[in-house]
Amino acid sequence: MRPNRARRLAIGITAAAMLLAGCSAPAASPSSAAPQENAQLVFRTWDENAAKAYDQTFAKFTAANPGITVKTEVVAWADYFTKLRTDIAGGSAPDIFWLNNSYLAPYARNGNLVDINATLGADAAGAWVPSVVKQFTVDGKLWGVPQTSDGGIAVYYNKKLVADAGLSEADIAKLAWSPSGGDNSLLTVAEKLTKDASGKTADQAGFDAKHVKQYGYNAAYDLQAIYLPFIGSNGGTYQDGDTFTFSNPKTVEAFSYVVDLINKHHVAPSAADTNTNGDFSRDQFLQGKMALFQSGLYNLANVEAGAKFDWGVVGLPAGPAGAISVTNGVAVVGNAASKNSAAVAKLLAYLGTAEGNQAIGASGANLPGVTGAQQVYKDYWASKKVDLTPFFSVLDNGTIPAPTGENFAAGYAAYDPILQEIFLGRKDVAAGLAEADAAANKAIQG
Amino acid sequence: MHEPSSGARTRPGRRRARLREAVAGYGLLAPSLVGIVAFLVVPILVAIGLSFYKWDLLSRPRFVGLTNWAAVGTDPALLNSAAVTIAYVLLVIPLQTVLGIALAVLLHRGLPGSAGLRSILVLPWVCAPLALGIVWKWIFAPTDGALNALLGTSIAWLSDPDLALPAVAFVAVWSQAGYVALFFLAGLAAIPASVLEAAQLDGAGAVRTFWYVTLPLLRPTLFFVLVTTTISAFQAFDSIYALTQGGPAGATNVVAMQIYTSAFKTFDMGRAAALAVALFVVLVLISLAQQLYFRRRITYDLS
Repeated sequence: MRPNRARRLAIGITAAAMLLAGCSAPAASPSSAAPQENAQLVFRTWDENAAKAYDQTFAKFTAANPGITVKTEVVAWADYFTKLRTDIAGGSAPDIFWLNNSYLAPYARNGNLVDINATLGADAAGAWVPSVVKQFTVDGKLWGVPQTSDGGIAVYYNKKLVADAGLSEADIAKLAWSPSGGDNSLLTVAEKLTKDASGKTADQAGFDAKHVKQYGYNAAYDLQAIYLPFIGSNGGTYQDGDTFTFSNPKTVEAFSYVVDLINKHHVAPSAADTNTNGDFSRDQFLQGKMALFQSGLYNLANVEAGAKFDWGVVGLPAGPAGAISVTNGVAVVGNAASKNSAAVAKLLAYLGTAEGNQAIGASGANLPGVTGAQQVYKDYWASKKVDLTPFFSVLDNGTIPAPTGENFAAGYAAYDPILQEIFLGRKDVAAGLAEADAAANKAIQG
Repeated sequence: MHEPSSGARTRPGRRRARLREAVAGYGLLAPSLVGIVAFLVVPILVAIGLSFYKWDLLSRPRFVGLTNWAAVGTDPALLNSAAVTIAYVLLVIPLQTVLGIALAVLLHRGLPGSAGLRSILVLPWVCAPLALGIVWKWIFAPTDGALNALLGTSIAWLSDPDLALPAVAFVAVWSQAGYVALFFLAGLAAIPASVLEAAQLDGAGAVRTFWYVTLPLLRPTLFFVLVTTTISAFQAFDSIYALTQGGPAGATNVVAMQIYTSAFKTFDMGRAAALAVALFVVLVLISLAQQLYFRRRITYDLS
């Protein structure tokens, strides 16, 4: 009990200190209100790489706007939306912060965010990536300044493991899958790339699925990289408006296919590994124990830093409806309750310029959401001789919408345990998805 | 405390003196009273009030009457978490207490190295439960986990509904047995040697002495340990949050985890508050029952 209480106490003290800091800031500067404003803004992100880039951006901003300083804070992804919600309720939320479109709606509808068109003018959005602008538009109003545009999903591959299996890049460049008897090269290739402890591949007799030494592919319970693209590529749907549509027959087929890759064909790690450790597949790939790793640009910097082998990128495997990916941008939003609304507006405007958005692209960590800032990112990866085309060409096929909804968090919490069971093979796919549908849609009713 | 006997007549002067005494008493208590009221009584009242509302932290709270309370008694997820919590407590408390007593008895013999061992035993309790949870999560990992590597198996300790709760309970026992042993050590030290000597002279062996002399004399310690550890077992959260997040399929979804999910995953503060108040009431009842049981069986006077 004791460490518990100590931690709670520490949080309490921090909260109290933040409260004091929040109270004392305006009180300290009433006299100097005349020519230049004095404001200390707080910016929050979940991405540590981005935070370092933003610090450079904010230094430039302060040089151009003396008196306005910006402090960067990082809150880990796992706690980000929990903490944000409580901070908004407690009045201690940062002045500007990153938001992902899945969690946007409740904040937009409750009036917690700065209306971007009203603040920066209706023309401002013209400089930004249209798909991200669209994602951050709720009820006809724009609520965020695009900061990253994630591109689509593609497949990283380990060149050596592919070559060792006797495959060429051409063999894996145009993979396809089908739940009902069409071209199924994804499975046959993944089987050739999966090996047990004695070196037998998954398509050989006597393959020991209990002792897999090398995985072919990262099929797993992974929303953005795996099951949304599979649903989309089979012509299924994840949501219709805010309503979850797991029972859509095309969606059920897509899930069955992915679950079979794991539990029947054993070309991917067990869900017991990947359900509880979202980084398991990435770590296996980086350790050279996985041949194909389907993911997004959000893992590019990690792969570049962590892979000690030659790797490349090929396009997303195509299903019956083509290779349909999801794209998920991030925007920076303004807190409508900020005491420094003028300074917040200035900073938002700056972050929407090519100069203001450039720093996070220059390190290669994030593709900028301001169209004019994207070149630095492309230059960076061109200098590393990494071809990013597959991440962008996939978007030409159309996309499946990213998760959305006012009560998305509640719906997700309701279906999450059920889908975990499905992937573990302990629940029938069709029955489980019907159950997930019912639970999630009940949860979003509130 | 001296209470005036009922019906006693006090003269005005004495009454004033008593009043002054009372005011001074409360004045001296004020600093700690402020803490209790501000950080204990007020939050409890707020939680009770909140349990009649629906509040998502963003929009205005909406009064919903007894809806949340009705759910406490009927929602299958909540009933499941109550059952899981009871199973967890029944796994943890007996094991941890027996282990604590056994360790204390062994350490009490004062063999060389006992002092060092004592410190080592308390180490897990000193560590942050969340950090321990992360370490144990790695130990339990099906692939590349320490335990499976040691056993040469690939058992999904934390993803198998039959194994997850015992695994989580094991971590709790492991981290607290040493701490519990400390209390029993103190209790053993308080037992006068003369009592044990008398038992020995009367021909009682080690086992008999333990059951009929040592254990009864440990009752005050046992009472304290059982009350505090039962309460903390009912509130178990940190290590479960780190290990399983209540999964698989709710197999480790203890009440505290369910409160967290309601409050911070589904943002239903009213439901979470109702559950928290219900847990609070249950804990008060359990403590009262324990007190009633032990009141007649405790001897504090060991002379």
